[in-house]
Amino acid sequence: MIVELQSPAGKFWQTMGFSAHGKQCLHPEEALYLMECGNLQVFYQDLPLSIQEGYERFLYSKTMSIQHYQVFGHLKRLGYVVNRFDPSSVPSQYERQLNLPQSRDRSGRLPKRKHSHSPTSRHTGTQEGPTSKRMEEEKDCNREEEDKNPDSLPDLSAPDIDEIQTASHVDPTTSTEGGQGRSWWSKEGSPEPDSELPGQPQSSPRWDFSSIPFPDLGSRRWLPSSLTSPDPCLLPGAVGSVGACDVAPWLQRLNLREVRMSRREWEREQDRDRYRRDIKQDREVRRCRNWAEYQELQERRIQRSRRDRPAHLWEGPVTPLHDPAQVTSTGELLDKISVIKSTRLLEGASSLKGSEEWRICFNIYQPDTVAEFKKSAPGKPYSRMCVCSFDGPVPDLWTLKLLAFQSGDVPVTYAVVDHGDISFYSFKDFQIPTDVSF
Amino acid sequence: MDSPEQKITKTVSREDASKESMANSRHVIGIHFCGPTPLVWRADELKSARELGIIGTLVGSLARQPRQNTRLGRPLELLPEEGRLLADMGRAAVIPDSTNEDPEVNPEQVEQYHAGLENSFQEQGAMVLADRKTTLLRVMTEKHNEDSGSQEDSDGAVRDRLEALEHGFSFPRTAMAVQLCTARAGLSHCPEVRRFLAADWPTPRDERSETRFRVFRDLRRQGFYLTSAGKFGGDYLVYPGDPLRFHAYFIVVCISMDESMPLCDVLAIARLGSNVKKTVLLCSSGESQEDDREEVVYTSLQWSGMV
Repeated sequence: MIVELQSPAGKFWQTMGFSAHGKQCLHPEEALYLMECGNLQVFYQDLPLSIQEGYERFLYSKTMSIQHYQVFGHLKRLGYVVNRFDPSSVPSQYERQLNLPQSRDRSGRLPKRKHSHSPTSRHTGTQEGPTSKRMEEEKDCNREEEDKNPDSLPDLSAPDIDEIQTASHVDPTTSTEGGQGRSWWSKEGSPEPDSELPGQPQSSPRWDFSSIPFPDLGSRRWLPSSLTSPDPCLLPGAVGSVGACDVAPWLQRLNLREVRMSRREWEREQDRDRYRRDIKQDREVRRCRNWAEYQELQERRIQRSRRDRPAHLWEGPVTPLHDPAQVTSTGELLDKISVIKSTRLLEGASSLKGSEEWRICFNIYQPDTVAEFKKSAPGKPYSRMCVCSFDGPVPDLWTLKLLAFQSGDVPVTYAVVDHGDISFYSFKDFQIPTDVSF
Repeated sequence: MDSPEQKITKTVSREDASKESMANSRHVIGIHFCGPTPLVWRADELKSARELGIIGTLVGSLARQPRQNTRLGRPLELLPEEGRLLADMGRAAVIPDSTNEDPEVNPEQVEQYHAGLENSFQEQGAMVLADRKTTLLRVMTEKHNEDSGSQEDSDGAVRDRLEALEHGFSFPRTAMAVQLCTARAGLSHCPEVRRFLAADWPTPRDERSETRFRVFRDLRRQGFYLTSAGKFGGDYLVYPGDPLRFHAYFIVVCISMDESMPLCDVLAIARLGSNVKKTVLLCSSGESQEDDREEVVYTSLQWSGMV
């Protein structure tokens, strides 16, 4: 809903209105305010609108309801400059640090550099070892494999190489200057390429354990006399080929006697095992591909169960929290026994998602800046306004954090509308001073 | 006045277009909703509402002095309970919103509007001319009275100007005063049509609004005047007479009969009441056993010292 001006705007143009398609336009609340002041006459279908019709036509939506208009009008009558809030106009913290000159017009910004592949993945090929290259951009790493010099590959059958190259797309933008080194985990190196090949260059390489024999020497069913030599590719580089392994001396070291339990012992074991979860059946454990991932899983599980407890009090063996013989300053001691750590309002606020209910509506600029106010470069607002009412919920900490974050470094004021009566509240973030000399 | 290049007329005066008699006290008050908020627009209806004890709040700009907040003008915003009470008493009717009807231009109305504008222009032109003439004549007679000496020259100058006025006076369109109506003109202000168009009051959605309404109605029946009390942490402020003449006596907090109130809330509201020198009333509505009517139960909290 936009009100278009038919004749050039007067003095109000300095602080209100915007240009669209070459015409001067006003937002509905601005037009209604000017109508109430007697500065503007709005025509709809060739007839002038009365104030009542203006209210009914302009204040219908949730973004600009009568409560929002009451706050808008109240502040405008006091002389403030009030604009609609645009979330994209808030400079991020990084931009604030850079202290770039702010301009409302987005085209004035420096064009962003196109995203280019990180230089590390390009240059580390020849100098550093193949494993470090793998730890960085795995995708780039995988993509670079296709550009390798085929001569450096081991004696694999040619069809394998062709399959690899056609299955994954060749990325022409990746430079090949680092493509000489060979990755330990590359597809060409794995002994059983056919099971993993079909079009998965992006996923991490998996060992196919079904094809790698792990002899079970404790099993009573099958006792081989000797083990065949493993594939040299599975062994560390310089070992090469080892001969067949004689099983007999190893079996002597194992206790292969059958366990005979009495009935009671057997029942006891059953009871114990009833509630024990078989780790082999645990889905999350099965998903772990190696020892490191399993350790991460364990770590995560511990964290989950101990989320509420501060680690410095619950982890570790039970010891006195502080040894009086140890000399520490008061500050350090307080830190040690602190359970509640103080926090700032904006902590954790960047991860909060937006809300339908609570939003910042207006930017407010002080009345004494009206003389130099420019719509194209308004500068930092004095405050930002969020409109609510006593009928609705009180803003909780989540809302406070969300709106404070959205507003950047400008304080947020809450305008509470109570049937025509407006009260303004704001929440200040401050630290309780610690009465300790360090 | 503005420069002639301005095509839009800047001087605007706001007056109610209707010339209906204000003495009609059986007049049905028209309530227009703006979203969920009931508003009353016409000056005579505001007066009727006040006479019925419904206070409301003025929320619009005052026509004569739009850039201040101490005194506001129409529309009058009603509490939902106030509107509902008026509708229940039969003294008010909800006029449905007609903004979305008639999407096309209505040529008749446009013609009427332009004819009205033209009339007004002619009238104003005549008035301005007469006004200037009387000013010049007054200047002439003053000069006559003051100096007795050489007034023939100035007299002649004034007479020349008068003659020029007679012949060459033109009232520019840009200087015309245009009326910007507050309330909507049209069919909807006629009472018979109003009763015909009236919609039902929107039913309350929850128990809390129902409790609030019952408490409001009961207090109003006892002759108190009520306004909203959000700033005082309560639901209503209760005045023994018109709020313009008295201070509030009570802060009303509406709670449901079986709701348990935590002690700190009771302490908070009692403290607040004592700080502003008002008695806190905890009100609940429930069914009375005797005559099967709704009854409102009041509990007052007053901070008293130990004697």
